[in-house]
Amino acid sequence: MSCIVANSLSKSYGSIMAVDGIDLSVNSGRIFGFLGPNGAGKTTTIKLLTTLIAPTSGTINILGIDAIRQPLDVRKKIGVVLQQPSYEPTLGVEKSLEKYGMMWNVERKTRKDRVEELLSAFDLQEIRNMKNDDLSIGQRRRVQVAREFMHDMDLLFLDEPTVGLDPSARRGLLDFVKKKVKEGLTIFFTTHILNEAEYLCDEVAIINKGKIIAVDTPDELKNKFGREKTIKIRIPETKKDVSGLLVGIKDYEIDLNSGTNITIRSNDSEEVLLKILQILNVNNIPIEDLSVMPTTLEEIFLTVVNNSNASGN
Amino acid sequence: MHPVIRLVNRNLTISLNKGFLIWQVIFPLIYIFVAGFAYSGMIGFNIMNSTLISGIIIWNDRRHGMFEQILVGPFTRVHYILSNVYTIGIVGLISAALITAVGYPLFFKSVEFNFYTIPLVVFASVSGSILFGSIASIISTRLQSSEGFNVVINTVFLFFAFVSTAFYPAEGTPEPLSTAFYLNPLTYLVDVVRAGIFGNFSTFVGIEMIVLIALALILFTIATKLLSKLEL
Ligand SMILES: Nc1ncnc2c1ncn2[C@@H]1O[C@H](COP(=O)(O)OP(=O)(O)OP(=O)(O)O)[C@@H](O)[C@H]1O
Ligand SMILES: [Mg+2]
Repeated sequence: MSCIVANSLSKSYGSIMAVDGIDLSVNSGRIFGFLGPNGAGKTTTIKLLTTLIAPTSGTINILGIDAIRQPLDVRKKIGVVLQQPSYEPTLGVEKSLEKYGMMWNVERKTRKDRVEELLSAFDLQEIRNMKNDDLSIGQRRRVQVAREFMHDMDLLFLDEPTVGLDPSARRGLLDFVKKKVKEGLTIFFTTHILNEAEYLCDEVAIINKGKIIAVDTPDELKNKFGREKTIKIRIPETKKDVSGLLVGIKDYEIDLNSGTNITIRSNDSEEVLLKILQILNVNNIPIEDLSVMPTTLEEIFLTVVNNSNASGN
Repeated sequence: MHPVIRLVNRNLTISLNKGFLIWQVIFPLIYIFVAGFAYSGMIGFNIMNSTLISGIIIWNDRRHGMFEQILVGPFTRVHYILSNVYTIGIVGLISAALITAVGYPLFFKSVEFNFYTIPLVVFASVSGSILFGSIASIISTRLQSSEGFNVVINTVFLFFAFVSTAFYPAEGTPEPLSTAFYLNPLTYLVDVVRAGIFGNFSTFVGIEMIVLIALALILFTIATKLLSKLEL
C-alpha cells in the first residue's frame, strides 16, 4: 500500500520554483530517502507533505487521506522532525518529553514508560534534568528526535535528523529508526550523508532544483548510473617498461611510487582489465594485488546531480 | 482531552516559573503595602500584565521552532489562538483574585463588596485579557528582530500603566493628561474594577464596559488574522 502519493506537486515563492511538479509514491513499511543538494527543495517538500504549507498546485494523499482537504486528519497520524530546531527552553529534558506526550493525548502511564525507553535509547539519562536551553546543539537535536517517538504514528518525516550528532549517537539513531520500521513504521528521510542513506533506505529519490531526477533502490541506482568502475592492480617493481607495454590501451593510469600501481577507471572496466592482464601475463609480470572499488551512493549522487545541472534542468 | 485544553496545560507549564510569579504576585503586593493605595489600579495593572504571557508564548514559540512543531501536530491555528486566550484568561483571573484577596484586609474600611463585585471583576479580567492579550499577540507576530519583543512590550505596557488611572485618580490631574487617560483602555479597565470593589457603579462605567468589550473584539480579530497569516 502507498502511504504517500503526490502528483504534479509544486510550490513557488515568487519567481522561485522551490518544488517543481514532482510525483512521489512511497510504500508502507519502508524507509524512503530524499536526497539533494542545498536548496534543492527537500524541506519544502516535507512542509508540503506534512500540511505545514499549502502547495501552489498538485495533489497530496497521505495514508489514504487528502492532505489538502483534511490536513488535521493527516497530522494526527504522522510524526515530524523538522530541519529547524524546536524546543521548550524553560523545560527540562525529561519534562519536555513528558509534556510532548501529553500534547499528543498519550496516556499518563504510557508516557512514563516511553520517557524511560527514549531517555535510554537516545542516551539522555545523564542530562534528563537539564534545561533544554542549557544543552549543546547535538544534545538538543537528540531530544528533538526522541520526543517525536513519544506518540504513536504510521508515518514519520525526518528532515536531516542526524545533523550535529556524533558518530555513535548517529548510529544509535539510525538503528532505533530501523527497529521502528520493523515494527511497522514508514519513514520519509532527508540527509546529505550518503552512506547514511545507503545504510538505511529501501528506496531513494534525488531532487535537484525542485525536480526529481532519479528514484530507485540504492542498488538499482548504482546499476543504472554506476557503470564506471574503478579497479586497482598492483605489481612488483620491475625493470620492464610497463607504460610502453600498455601503449594503446585506454582509460588507465599508472603510478610508479612504491611498486607499480595501475588504476583503471572506465565504463568498460572489465574489458580493459582483461587486456591489461593478458599483456602482464605474456610478459611474465606477476600481480601482487587486485581490487575493485565498489561504487558508492555518493558517486552516483554527484554524477546524477552534475548531469542534471549540465543539461540545464 | 480536547486539543485546546492540552495546549493550555502546556502553556501554563512553560510560563509559570519563579520569575513570572514574583513579577505577577509579589511585586504588586509590595507595591500595595508600601504605597498603601491604588488597590483597584493594581488589579487592573495585573490583569494587563498577565496578558504578557500570551505575547511571550507566541514570541518564544516562533523563536524556538515550537510554533511550527505544534502546527505539524494534532492542532490547528484556531486551537493555538484559543489556547492562548484561555491561558491569559486563567492567569488574569487568578492573579486578580489573589490581589483582591490579599489586599482586602488592608482596604477593608473602604471596600464595599456587593452583588456586582464578582461579575464586574470577572468582566474586567476577561475583556482586559482579550484586549491586552491581543495587543501583545499583534506585537509578537509583527516583530522580526531576535531580542526586541521584551523591550517593545514593556515600553508599551509601561506607557499604558502610567498614562492611566491605575496609579492615581483622574480627578485633579491637569487637562491634557486627564484626556489622555481616557484614550487608554487600561483606564476603563481600572474604572470597572474600581466600580466593582468600591460599589460605585454608574452609567459612565457602563459605557466604559461597552468600549472595553468592543475594543477587545476588534483587536482580537486583528490578532487572529495576523496569526493565521503568519508565514511558515
Ligand atoms: N519561505 C521561503 N521564502 C522564499 N523562498 C524560499 C522559502 N523557503 C524556501 N525557499 C527557497 O526554496 C528553495 C528550496 O528550499 P528548501 O529549504 O526546500 O531546500 P532544501 O533542499 O531543504 O535545502 P537544504 O539542504 O539546505 O536544507 C530554495 O531556493 C529556497 O531559497
Ligand atoms: Mg532543508
